[in-house]
Amino acid sequence: MKAKLDRRLVRNFDFVLLLTVIALQAVGSLTLYSATHSLEGFSDPFHFVRRQLFFAAVGFVLMMVIALIDYINFKNWAIYLYIFNLLLLGLILVVGEAEKGAMRRIQLGIFELQPSEIAKLIMIVVLARMLSEKEGKLPYFQDLLPVLAATALPMGLIFLQPDLGTSLVFLAVLLGMLYVAGARGRHLAALVGGGLATAPLFWFFLLKPYQKNRLLVFINPEMDPINEGFQLLQSMIGIGSGGLLGKGLLNSTQVRLGYLPEHYTDMIFSVFGEEMGYVGAVALLLLYFLLIYRILRISTRAKDQFGVLLCCGVAVMFTFQVLVNIGMTISIMPVTGIPLPFMSYGNNALLVNLAAIGLVLNVAMRRHKIQF
Amino acid sequence: MNKNIMRRVRLIFVLVIMIFILLAGRLAHLQVVKHDYYWYRAEQNRFTKITLPATRGEVYDARGKLLVSNRPGFVVSLMDMGEGYDDETISYLSDILKIDKEEIYEAIEGRRYMRYLPLPLKSDITMETISQISEHLWKLKGVNIEIRPIREYKRNKTAAHILGFLGQAPVDESTRELWAAEDYHYEEGELVGQEGIERSWEPALRGVDGEQRIEINSMGQPINFFERKEPVPGHNLHLTLDLDLQKAAEKALAAQVKNIVKKEGSKYAGRASAVVLDPGSGAILALANYPSYNPNRIGKEYEKLTLDPKRPLTNSAIQGTYPIGSTFKMVTGTAALETGAISDRDIFSCRGVLTTHGDTKACYRRAAHGGVNLYRGIAVSCNIYFYQVGLRAGIDAIAKYAREYGFGSPTGLEDLRGEAAGVVASREYKSSVTDGEPWYPAETMSAAIGQSYNSQTPLQVAHYVAMIANGGIHYRPYLVQKVVDNKGEVVQETKPEVLRRAKISAKTLGTMREAMRGVTRPGGTGYSVFHNFPVTTAGKTGSAEVAAMGRGLPSHSLYVGYAPYEKPQIVVAVIIEYGGSGYAAAAPVVAEIMKYYFTGQRKGVSDSEGETGSQAG
Repeated sequence: MKAKLDRRLVRNFDFVLLLTVIALQAVGSLTLYSATHSLEGFSDPFHFVRRQLFFAAVGFVLMMVIALIDYINFKNWAIYLYIFNLLLLGLILVVGEAEKGAMRRIQLGIFELQPSEIAKLIMIVVLARMLSEKEGKLPYFQDLLPVLAATALPMGLIFLQPDLGTSLVFLAVLLGMLYVAGARGRHLAALVGGGLATAPLFWFFLLKPYQKNRLLVFINPEMDPINEGFQLLQSMIGIGSGGLLGKGLLNSTQVRLGYLPEHYTDMIFSVFGEEMGYVGAVALLLLYFLLIYRILRISTRAKDQFGVLLCCGVAVMFTFQVLVNIGMTISIMPVTGIPLPFMSYGNNALLVNLAAIGLVLNVAMRRHKIQF
Repeated sequence: MNKNIMRRVRLIFVLVIMIFILLAGRLAHLQVVKHDYYWYRAEQNRFTKITLPATRGEVYDARGKLLVSNRPGFVVSLMDMGEGYDDETISYLSDILKIDKEEIYEAIEGRRYMRYLPLPLKSDITMETISQISEHLWKLKGVNIEIRPIREYKRNKTAAHILGFLGQAPVDESTRELWAAEDYHYEEGELVGQEGIERSWEPALRGVDGEQRIEINSMGQPINFFERKEPVPGHNLHLTLDLDLQKAAEKALAAQVKNIVKKEGSKYAGRASAVVLDPGSGAILALANYPSYNPNRIGKEYEKLTLDPKRPLTNSAIQGTYPIGSTFKMVTGTAALETGAISDRDIFSCRGVLTTHGDTKACYRRAAHGGVNLYRGIAVSCNIYFYQVGLRAGIDAIAKYAREYGFGSPTGLEDLRGEAAGVVASREYKSSVTDGEPWYPAETMSAAIGQSYNSQTPLQVAHYVAMIANGGIHYRPYLVQKVVDNKGEVVQETKPEVLRRAKISAKTLGTMREAMRGVTRPGGTGYSVFHNFPVTTAGKTGSAEVAAMGRGLPSHSLYVGYAPYEKPQIVVAVIIEYGGSGYAAAAPVVAEIMKYYFTGQRKGVSDSEGETGSQAG
């Protein structure tokens, strides 16, 4: 019986998705090496790559573990995960009060825990559970309210950190999952409309000056080429100067001469674009596309609505992060601190992304309702 | 599975496709369409050019004495040593350099990404300040003391109007084009010659700046050094100017002007010019104006100088136009002889006063000269003789010969800019300035003695007598004898250039010389000054009435002469504004200059190098 079950799980395992993730991870590590091998203050050229690869290895194990636990269990654990999540986010705010300024991480030995990253995945699980119980029917606006309330709480805590980027990811995932779960178009439109209506409120009361500046600079990057606009302008100069074929691996002059701040975290795509050119950039986009395509494909074959929503949530998360991250490096999105999955340096994001893939693989392996 | 959900997932997939097309499209725009632009911007990020300034050429006098050179000047600059700018250092510098603190902060504010390159704060600091800073250098952060060349005018005020000075004032379009033709492409704000030789010879003097291309990082720190183009030093100029003669001329002018100011006050008097020409080549041996200025201090004194009513910045020797009075009389004489209106022996009578054409005109101080021919007319400067001769010759002939002698147009000096053309009194000129009024014979009489509309520059006066002395050759006046490159090779040497020959007979010119010789002989107006002179000289006095509302204005005092009479070597013209009669004020100055030239009293003028002394600060 057990052997039979294993064979079925193996047969349904999505190797294409796994290979795509491995490919992205490989490209990401190479680019990370290029961006950090001659970083000032680090004598070891592999300092960042080694750490990232170590956590990638941990992440792959985590992914496989999550893939092997039947995802129905996560549905049952959702409420505990949600509470755990709120505690973590609350804790960081309390600890953060002591420190001055932004506080997003908790040091745990060599690992810096970043609760807002983990919160994204937990929220997908929680939303998938809440919405799957609606059986695809959300005829009234009131039906949305519990979901909105459940999302608003962790999202608010993250916004207070302040982490505008992750809050936005929450919003995108929420809208995407509501839509798939059957929310009415006009209700979603009302949500978006309401959000836009409160935008001035945000502008005048909630956004920090540097966040406002980033938005202004997005509208006109040459406005402030020395300060806020500098990063954006230099990113575009890097990508644009890469041309069709790029300057070659390790040959980014923008990085070497220090023109690109955050070049191994949020701005890593700029390094890739400069070194690999348009051909490389499009190839990378195709890899991301393949990743998201496989996830959506799995969602359409999932055995239950929980599985569908889980996969869609993950797909929307990746899509939104790719859009906003790459978009900001080429000035079609404002600069927000959203990392590029599998490329940007960041241990939490890496673990969470691999865990998310684990969940999707999990859904894929258990796709048939009935197995004869 | 719920059909509706499938439809919604599919729609999400379509949205994903659209997002990726958007990203790929935007990337195509940046990386393919605008690649050249961003490539250029990246290169701009990478490279910067450091200008390696060429050493500016030196200027020497005719006998190799250094006139203009460069000396090391100290520049204090400030840079970030990697730990930010230090407030204490900035306070100290602001204090000792006397620069506003705000100003320093403003200057470094704009250098956020270049802060590891030194920012010059103040140049040409005194030794005293430098040693003060040096003592404190141990506690100052990021302070550099560099040495940069500063233009040095070795003789201070001497020959200032010839040498000129440097400045950052903008240059007009025509000069730019002129310089561009010599391969120097001026850019706004560059330190360039503003006046004198410094201006006219800018491209030769400045040399060609070198360049060092360096790769820099975003903080302006040099990373790599690439191709280096060495600067080519500017050429040295050797002038026709004789420093000692120039000094003698300036000294004599200054002494005489001070003399006159002492006697008559400085309401009118206080300015004078002298020109010394070689009549055999057009070479300018000296060219002096009083008052003058010190080009070493021009930066501090410029504004004050521009406001000085005695206009020390104006090179009146070539730019000032004056009625030249009786020194004009050789023109009238030439016109009368050349047109055959008179012969040199024809006698006209002078009773001190002449009433004709409804006007009564008098000789200078109403002197009655009796029977006067051309020689005596020039020697005693008889106005009444020239009124009558002028009327005989007619205004048209006078104007024609005035032009033959080079009046009414620049003499052609190219080594200094801004030479004035002056005015020749004529029917046409009067008509053009009075809306067609006719010419009256009374005006011919005025014009015949150098009044009326006549106005000439001191250089033109010297040049006109040079033509009399050299037999009617119009040489182009020049100041630069040769141009020598930094290896000592002569790049360019000036040969005397004949621009034109006057259409005046040798006989008439000879008559003029003889008549001018009479001026320094017993009975001549210059005798009192030139008797017992070491060489025979010829000349002409002039006391030009200045047209003014009120009467009682002193005349301009002029004297122009050449020597030796037998074989002219120099022509000297002097004008002393409101100096009174020619023989009293200008003639002694000419005598002084000639005496200096011929008796070689050159030891009399100090000849030590480095006269500039310690004027820095």
